[in-house]
This record gives sequence, structure tokens and C-alpha cells, in this order.
Amino acid sequence: MARLIVDCVTKTFGALHALDQVSLDVGDGEFMAILGPSGCGKTTLLRQIAGFDKLDGGRIVIGETVVSTVTQHVPPERRRIGIVFQSYALWPHMTVAENVAYGLTVAGVRDPERTRRVDAALTLVELEGYAERRPSMLSGGQRQRVALARCLVTEPSLVLLDEPLANLDVHLRASMEEEFARFHARTGTTMVYITHDQAEAMALADRIAVMDRGRLLQVATPSQLYREPADASVAAFIGEGIVVPAEVIDVDSRGRCRVDLFGLSVSMRCPLAQTPTRAARVCLRAANLAIVGAGVPGIGARVVRSVYQGGHFRVEAQLDHADGVLVHLAAAEPCRLAPGDAIRIGIDDGWVLPETGEIVDSTAPESADSRRFDGGTVATGADG
Amino acid sequence: MNYLLRGAWLAAALISMLAPLPAQAQAPKGKLVLYTSQPERDATQTTAAFKQAYPGVEVEVFRSGTTEVMGKLAAEFAAGAPKADVLLIADAASMEALKKDGRLLPYPEARVAGLAAGTYDADRTYFGSKLITTGIAVNTAAKSRPASWADLAKPENKGQIAMPSPLYSGAAAIMLGTMTARPDLGWAFFEKLKADEAVAVRGNGAVLTAVASGEKPYGVLVDFMAFNAKAKGSPIEFIFPAEGVPAVTEPVAMLKTAQNPAAGRAFIDFILSDEGQKLALSMGYIPAKASVGMPSWLPPGTVIKLMPTDIGNVVQNNSANLKRFSELFGN
Amino acid sequence: MADTAGLRERAEETALLWVLVAIVAILSLVPLARLLFEGVAPGGRFSTAALSNVLSSATTWTAAQHSLVTACGGTALAVLIGATVAVLVALTDIRGRNAFVFCFVLPLMIAPQVVALAWLQLFGPSSTLLKMIGLAPAMGSRNPLYSAHGIILLLGVQYAPLVFLTLRAGLRTLPQELLEAGLAAGAKPPTILRTIVLPLMTPPLVAGIALCFVSCLGNFGIPAFLGIPGNYLVLPTLIYQRLAGLGPSVLSEVAVLSCLIGFIAVLGIFLQDLMLRRRDFRITTTSNAMRPFELARWRPAVEIALWILTIVVLVLPLVALLLSSLVPAAGVPLTAKSATWSNYDYVLFDHAAAKRALVNSFSLSATAAIVIVLVAVPLAYFLVWRRSRLLRVLNLAAEMPYALPGVVLAIAAILVFLKPLPVLGLTLYNTVWIILFGYLARFLVLGLRPVIGGYYQLDRTLEEAAQIAGARLLRRLATIILPLVAPMATAGALLVFLTAFNELTVSALLWSSGAETLGVVVFSFQQGGDSTYAAALAMLTVAVTIALMLSTLLTGKPARGVLPWRD
Repeated sequence: MARLIVDCVTKTFGALHALDQVSLDVGDGEFMAILGPSGCGKTTLLRQIAGFDKLDGGRIVIGETVVSTVTQHVPPERRRIGIVFQSYALWPHMTVAENVAYGLTVAGVRDPERTRRVDAALTLVELEGYAERRPSMLSGGQRQRVALARCLVTEPSLVLLDEPLANLDVHLRASMEEEFARFHARTGTTMVYITHDQAEAMALADRIAVMDRGRLLQVATPSQLYREPADASVAAFIGEGIVVPAEVIDVDSRGRCRVDLFGLSVSMRCPLAQTPTRAARVCLRAANLAIVGAGVPGIGARVVRSVYQGGHFRVEAQLDHADGVLVHLAAAEPCRLAPGDAIRIGIDDGWVLPETGEIVDSTAPESADSRRFDGGTVATGADG
Repeated sequence: MNYLLRGAWLAAALISMLAPLPAQAQAPKGKLVLYTSQPERDATQTTAAFKQAYPGVEVEVFRSGTTEVMGKLAAEFAAGAPKADVLLIADAASMEALKKDGRLLPYPEARVAGLAAGTYDADRTYFGSKLITTGIAVNTAAKSRPASWADLAKPENKGQIAMPSPLYSGAAAIMLGTMTARPDLGWAFFEKLKADEAVAVRGNGAVLTAVASGEKPYGVLVDFMAFNAKAKGSPIEFIFPAEGVPAVTEPVAMLKTAQNPAAGRAFIDFILSDEGQKLALSMGYIPAKASVGMPSWLPPGTVIKLMPTDIGNVVQNNSANLKRFSELFGN
Repeated sequence: MADTAGLRERAEETALLWVLVAIVAILSLVPLARLLFEGVAPGGRFSTAALSNVLSSATTWTAAQHSLVTACGGTALAVLIGATVAVLVALTDIRGRNAFVFCFVLPLMIAPQVVALAWLQLFGPSSTLLKMIGLAPAMGSRNPLYSAHGIILLLGVQYAPLVFLTLRAGLRTLPQELLEAGLAAGAKPPTILRTIVLPLMTPPLVAGIALCFVSCLGNFGIPAFLGIPGNYLVLPTLIYQRLAGLGPSVLSEVAVLSCLIGFIAVLGIFLQDLMLRRRDFRITTTSNAMRPFELARWRPAVEIALWILTIVVLVLPLVALLLSSLVPAAGVPLTAKSATWSNYDYVLFDHAAAKRALVNSFSLSATAAIVIVLVAVPLAYFLVWRRSRLLRVLNLAAEMPYALPGVVLAIAAILVFLKPLPVLGLTLYNTVWIILFGYLARFLVLGLRPVIGGYYQLDRTLEEAAQIAGARLLRRLATIILPLVAPMATAGALLVFLTAFNELTVSALLWSSGAETLGVVVFSFQQGGDSTYAAALAMLTVAVTIALMLSTLLTGKPARGVLPWRD
């Protein structure tokens, strides 16, 4: 299996920086998701890794081989990776078996070895018996699986997946997610998974790299990303975080601090190097908010909307005296709140956003990058 | 016994090999390249007959319209390696042009006895092979039978005349040059034709098709085409106009760059010989050598009144004439 | 570290590129350069006399104007007919589709001059057909076809199948979801045509238009028959007229006029490139092909209209041709008594050249078609997906031998190949090989343009997937790209074959005994006044081609969309 190193990669199209000094280190056998909204550059990054485009700066290393630099470029056909394209890119003039067998034929593998491996790949994706069909006769999910089988049959050391589940329905997506997870567990292939869907990324990835507008915002495990977003955009993007201004009153040395939030004093998690400041921003999650009665510390708010979501209500409210800051939280059924009602919201936890705004790769093995936010890792197992 | 037979065999073989040698030393052999604008059938027959007379010569023929032949020749000259040995093309004007460029090889010893004067070049560079006259062709269903050129150009025939265009046909160019030089016809004749909305088509073949099919009941056409078609049943008549007929001689000539001049001379000899002239007769042409006879379609006793052609004059005025014709018949 | 395998592969690709460059250069640049040289330096001496003579003559500019008029008019008509028929055939549920396509494409196989002749006879006073229905015009009345309108009409009819072939191959790749989305949004079929189909079909349509324009510009046969009698000259017939003139400056004037035609053609190509650059819609090809629009109550009327079109465009001229091949001589009315097979007898049995011509034309056209397609697929790859600048310039050059009249290309070929080839010492002149060269040079663009249109419609991820699977360029071209562009490539091959089979103007100067072509033999007959033999041979040609097309229906199962009349 191979390790993938993306080192300060830059790609510009005219005046547009599609990739701006992106650095990423995918460990051997790791499942890395690259997450971001449309246009963030994730597909560009994938094409660079695959070798379809040339770099304007930086370098890419797959395994032991430097595959891309500004002056050097190993063509895609010699990089020995696999790709599952978003559109599946199945060749319409070949049968399923021929599609899957193509890589083997190119490598000189002959029958009966070839047929054996093709059949094994099809069995792996549960498409035995479909060998003689044509792609136009298959459903979306089936095509997806053929694309996966084709990718796997050559046993590549690195597999890139370009939004593979984007065209599938919800149920199919769930089962395909399982498929990918099982596959990764079984073979230990290094996988780089491009997606805009955070639920997928959270469910599948060992680590997630969040990108926006050509820049890498944060690389962390799903849990870290959720609990300790590096900046406001990551916070807002992941799990619908609510970013509000607050004041840090005092900090203890174990990653907790006291924060004043519109008059309410809350104990929150914070980066180890956090210092007291008047101009901090914090990330709140709906799970940390609750409607409280009188007598319990809380912030006043007015209900804007209350939407039933099956078993609970999603309540959106505007905080009083807070310049129109909107929060949302869950309220158990039954909830008889109507727009305009006054409520009080209690907060039991949050995360103070690190205000340097730099790229944070909190788990990078040995990164020589001196612009990491903190000198060590935030306790990974600790829950706090 | 066996030895004797074998010996006799050998002797016979040797003799048969040696015997033709003296003959071959005199007869021309090798390849002869002929460029011609004769009609396809005539070209085939001519070369076949020549091969019979001179079996040692292999004839390669390029046959196309005069324009194409001249174009091909021009390209070959420009590239510096002309391939043709002999030319047999429709009109003397093109030959004159080649002669002026110094491309033709004179053949002073050619046997011109019996050939009408003026059918061969005074410097013996080209020799007319037959006499092809241009007269009036009429569809049998036409309303009238013009007896003279003047009749043809009458206003009653408006929109009903086809003629070969001198811009594309060397023979028609000679016709133009000849007729415009005459006081009784001159440019006035062509102006009248223009007033009659005559169409100038590309070549005599097109005129024949037009007249025979009835599209244009009257046409200016070469004699043999009209008569051959009539013999096959086409509803067409040929009239020798009263003022006379212009003629072209379909001359044969040898190129200076000929690679097989011996065979070339043999070819010219053949064309001018009685045998060659009889062949022309059998193909339906009036031969250049009157002594050979007249074609069957010519009523016996007909006197063909040939319009005299000053070929030098025609060539000299050619571009001016063509320009004027082009302007006259409109763009 | 040295990447030897990578270097070798890059070397392979570069070598392929340079081989293609060399091929295009030899086929297009070398003859043209030689011709240009002749134009400014006849006989080796530099002189602008020809240039000034030609450019200052009013005839030149009138002919140029006429050329533009007839080319634009002919193209417009061809696009109108061809596109309408393509849409009807590919997108609606008319019946008898295959038979109709068969008949519609057939006129491409009849030589333009034969077509002109047939139509002239059809409209003339001797027209057997018109006589039979009593509508024959009075003897000697002016044939309406002898005009710019006649030329435009016949050019449009001649080249409508060209537009049809390229457009239909493109329509086949239109996925039904795109049209169904439009229908679901409430749009009626005409709106869908205008707003969805037309924009997506821009690449093949533009390819067809460009091809058509250049074809009309360089067409000689139709303006020769219809324009010369009325002295309505276009540039090709003007060149022919100049050739018929006498004098040493003939070739250089011809060269200058050729450059003029080339210049106009280049303008047309620039326009095409411009139009294609703005529209770059890719279609992934895994969906099913289109399910037709339903015509409902319009269907019978449309079907009847289409068949009437076929009858007018194909059947009538063919019938006129057939009738004139059965009479013993031109102008003899056709009756039970006068009908005869003698013309066919002569052509088939007595005339050795006709038989040779059939074989020659067939082999030359087939060889040219295959070679051209094999060159076109990698050439188009570098042009469209690699955007090789060198090749784009050469691409323009490749248009020239098609835009210029065939006689000009023939002259250029003679100039180049008259002397034996430098290193090899072979002489191509006066052999079939120089004719093959002429065909390859002239028809390369006919095969290339549809293939380029096909590339514009392909999804490049299909090639990328093959790259990832480890396939090198040549393998990708052969196993992935070629099958996917096969419909368009076959359209191109078909065009090349059909056009070469009957062509006349190139082989008219290049043929030699033993190397006759069909066009040449028919032309000789016509020129010699043997219009009945010409008609008989032309009928035989059509019969052979129909037989060939029919035989393709009997053979196995080619991939879908490869042959237009097999669905």
C-alpha cells in the first residue's frame, strides 16, 4: 500500500487559484476524505493526484515515487492508482466483464487468470452473473459497483473516489457506504474520497480534509473536526455549527475556560494556547443547547420557527440583545412552541475557535510545517 | 535419331531468333506515349491499328479533352520532364502555340504527298490527319432548315441555337478566328447569334446532346459527330452552309523531348499513310488524303466549300478574339 | 531517477504526432507549395505578372462573387434539406426509416456531372417523362436550370446527404433524458428542437456546414454544365477556362486563382473554428439512444413528403438516366421497338477500359477511405484533445486540397511527382498510385471533419479511465476511442468512398491507360457525344453501389450507428 504526500501544491487557471499551497499527508492504508462545497478545488486536487493535469507549484509523491513536480510528470497510465469517477466512465461499447478486465488486459494478464480475477471482483461487489451485460442496461447503483470492481481488479495501491455516491438515492447510498467501509477494512487500501456530503465523510473516513476556495482549512479525525473546528467556516460547515462572538474570561491549562456569552457564563473547551480575550468566537452545537426553565442559567431568546422532525422538534430562535444571532436546537416532543414565544436557552458546552485562522493538521505524523496551530495534539481520546 | 531431332530443333530455334533481327533493326520498338484528344473509340481503334502495323511498339495512351491534355502537358513542361512522344489533338491553334514555344520536333521526311495544302505545317512540325468541318446541325423536328450561316442567325431562331464555346474548345476557337476574319460573316454574325440568345456550351459533345435531344433544335456542330449519331438513329441532320465551312485538321506532331523519336516518326507515317487514312475514313471522317475516298454519309458529288484559315493569323488574334467573345456573350 | 519507461512512452507519443504532421504536410503542403511556387516563379524566375494579371481582371472578381453566392446558397439549401431529414429520421417515429435513408444517401454516389445532365434532360424539351405527361416545354425554350438558381438548387440537392450523414451520427448520441427533461418542463417538440437539440448538435452541424461550404466552393461539374452555357462563371470553371487558353503563363495564372479559392475556403474554416470554440457541450454516452418524438396525425403527411423528396431527388434523375441508356442514340424517342441493351453490351463487353475503371475506382476509393479514417482518428485526437498548435495550422492546410478544384490538385500532383522520388527512385506518375495520392490529399478533410465532430461529443473521462487502467496512447486509441468515434468515423469513410468512387476532376489529368477511373470514362463518353454510353456506365455504377450497400445489410452485426441505413 502506498502513502500519498501532497506538498504545497498550487494550481492556477488564469487569475483563479484553484489550489493554493495545499499540503496533505495520507498515511499508508488510511481512508482520507476531502470534504468541501462545490468549487472548493477538491476535484482539481484529485486530477492532480491522478496526473490528468500538471502542477504549477509543489509536488506529489505516491508511495516512494515523486509523480508530479513542476518539471516532472509521470503520466496517469503509469501511476498504478485506481479511480472511481463520478460519472462512472464505463465504456459503453464493452460488456461489464470487458470493462472490468481492461486493466488486466493492458497489464498482459491472460485467461484463465484474468477471468478468475474479474469474477472475483464482480463477486466482491455482488454483481456475479452480470458479466455479459452492457452498461446501458444497468441501474445507477449497479454501474457504481462495476466502476468499483474495475478499479479494484488491478489491486492498486491508492484508490481515488470522486463523489461516487452523488448520483445514488438515499438507501443505495447507505448500502454503498457500508460496501466501501467493508472493502477498506478488508483490503487496507489507501483511499482518498472526494465528497461534499459530510455525513458520508464522517461515517467512512479515518481523517477528513476540509477545503474551501482552493485552500485546505483543517485536517483532522471526524470527531476532532466536529468537536474542535479550526475556524468559523469549518465550524459552520460541519454539523451546522453556530458561531457566535463571546468573551473569554479565564483559561485553565487543561483546555477548558470560562466564557461570557451575552451575559451567560459558560464553561467551554478551548485550544491549549488560548488566552483571555474580549473578541473571541465560539462554536456551539445544537446538542449543547437546551430550553431551560426559570431559575436555570440561560439566555433569553425568541422563537422564530419550530419544525417537527420525527420524534423531536427543531426550534430556531433569535437571541435577545445579541444583534440577531440565530441559534437552533432540538426540543423533545411534545413541544408547543410557536413563533414569537419567549424562551430561555441553556448552554452546557462549546468550543472556542482558534483565532489564528491557519491550516491546522492536528494529527499529521511528522510535519515540518511550523505553522501548525499548537505544539502538540489535543487529547484525542478525552471527552471534554 | 534423337540427336538429329534435337539438333534440328536447336537449329530452328536459333534461326527463328536470328531471323527477325534484321527486320527489328529497322522497325521501331519500345514504348510510344501518345497524348490525344480524339474521342475514346477513335483513339482505341487508331492505336490498335498502329500496333498491328508496328507490332514491336507498345503504345501508352492518355486521352482526354483538349483542355486537359494541354493542361497536363503544361504541368509536365513546368516540372521539366515531359512524358509524351506524340500528340494528336483537335486543332492546329494549340499546335501553333506549342511550335512557337519550340516544343515540336520537325519531321522533314514525312510523306505529305496527296495531302491538301494547308493541312500541314510548312516547317513540317505538325500534320493534319483528317478534315473535320463545322456546319449546322438540325433536329429533324425543327421548324426550318437553315441553308446558310446567315439563315441560322435569323431572329426567328431566337433561343434555339447551341454552339461550342471557343473558350473551352480549340476547334471552336479556330472557327471563331476563321469566321470573324471573313467580311461576309465577321463579328456581326456572332453579334446576331448573341441577339438570338445562342448558348455556348462546353464542347461539341454537349452540342450534339442538346440538338439530338431537342433541347436546342439548331446547333453548330462538327460533321462526323452529327453523321455518326444519325447513323445510329438520332433525329439529327447535318447541313453544309452556303458560305462554306471552317475546318480543323486534328494534327499529329512529335515533341522535341520525345524519348522514342523512331516510333514517333513511325506513328506519323502511319497516320499519313493510305492505311491510316482509310482507318479515318472508316471511323466516319473526311480523310486528309482525298485519294483514299469519301465517307459514306457524304452524298457523292458534294463539293465541300472550305473556308480558308490563316492559322498564323488565328493564333495571333486568339486572345483578343476570346476576350471579345467572352465579353459579347456576357458574364 | 531516470524514468526510461516514461521516456519511451513520451517518445512514442511524440513520434506519432510527428508522423501525423508529416502525413498532412506531404498530402497538403507539398503540392500547394509547389503550385504557389509556380504562381510567383514560373519556370524558376520570380515574376508577379500572373498575380497582377489575375487580380486586376474584372472576370476574376465576378467569378469570385459568383462562387461565394453559389457556395452560400448551396450550403443553405443543403443544410435545410439535410438537417430537416436528419431530425425527422433520428428523432421521430416515421416508418420505413432504413429504406428512406438508403435512398436519400444514394445521390451522393452519382457523379455531379451525371446529376446535372439528368436534371437538364428532365427539365428539357426532350424529356421523355415530361413528354409522357404532356408537360414538355416547347422545343428550344430556355432551360431554367441554366442559371445561378439552377446551380444552387443542384448543389443543395447534391450535398444535402453530406449534412445529413454528419448530423445524424451526432443525433444518435443524444441521450433521451435531455429531451424528456424538456418535454417534462412543458416544452413542445419544436421548442425542444430549437433550445435543446440544436445547441447540443452544434458541433456536428457546424462540421457538416463547413464541409458543405467547401464542397460547393470547389465543385466543378455542376457549374460546368449549368453555368458555362450562360457564361455564369465561378472560380473553378474560370480556372478551367484559363487552362483551355493558350500560352506559357497559363499555369501561373491558374496557381493565383487557386490561391484565391483557398483564401475563401480558409475564411470559412476560421468561422467554423470560432463557432465550435464557443460551444463545448460534452455528452456522456452511456444512456440509451433517443426514443423518437411521436408525430401522431402528422405522420402520414411527413412520410409522404419525405418520399416525394426522395422521388424528386433520386428517382426522377435516375429514371431519366435509365431511359437515355436504353435508346440507341441521343434524341431517339423511347418506344418498345427502339429500346435496346446495346449500350450496356458495349460498355460491359467491348470496352475494356470501362471494366478496368470499375475495378480501379472501387479499389482506389476503398483504400483511400480506410487509410484516411486510420489517419483521421489519431489526427483528430491531437487536434481536439491535445490542442497541438502545430497540427491546428496544418489542419487548415488539409482543407486546401478539397477546396481547390480537382484539376488544380492534379496539376500540383503532376508538378510534384513527375520526376522520380528522390531517395527511393520510384515514379508515381502515370500509375494508380498518383491517383491514390490525389484522393488521399483531396478527401482527407472529408474523413477528418466528422471525426473531429465526434471527439467534441465524447466525454474525456472515458479516456481518463483507460489511462488510469494503465493503457498507453496507441492502445487507448485502438480499444477505447476508435469504437466510440466509430459512428462518425464511418460516416467519414463512407463520404470518402462515395465521393472518390465517382470523382472526375482529379483523375482526369492523372489517369493513364490501365489506371482509368469511372468518372474519366463517363466523361470521355459525354465529351465524345456518346451520351448513351455515358448513361449506361453511370447506371451500372449506381447498380454496383446499391449492391454494395445492400450487401452490408446481409453481413453480421456492426456496432450501432456505424452504417446510417442500418438501425
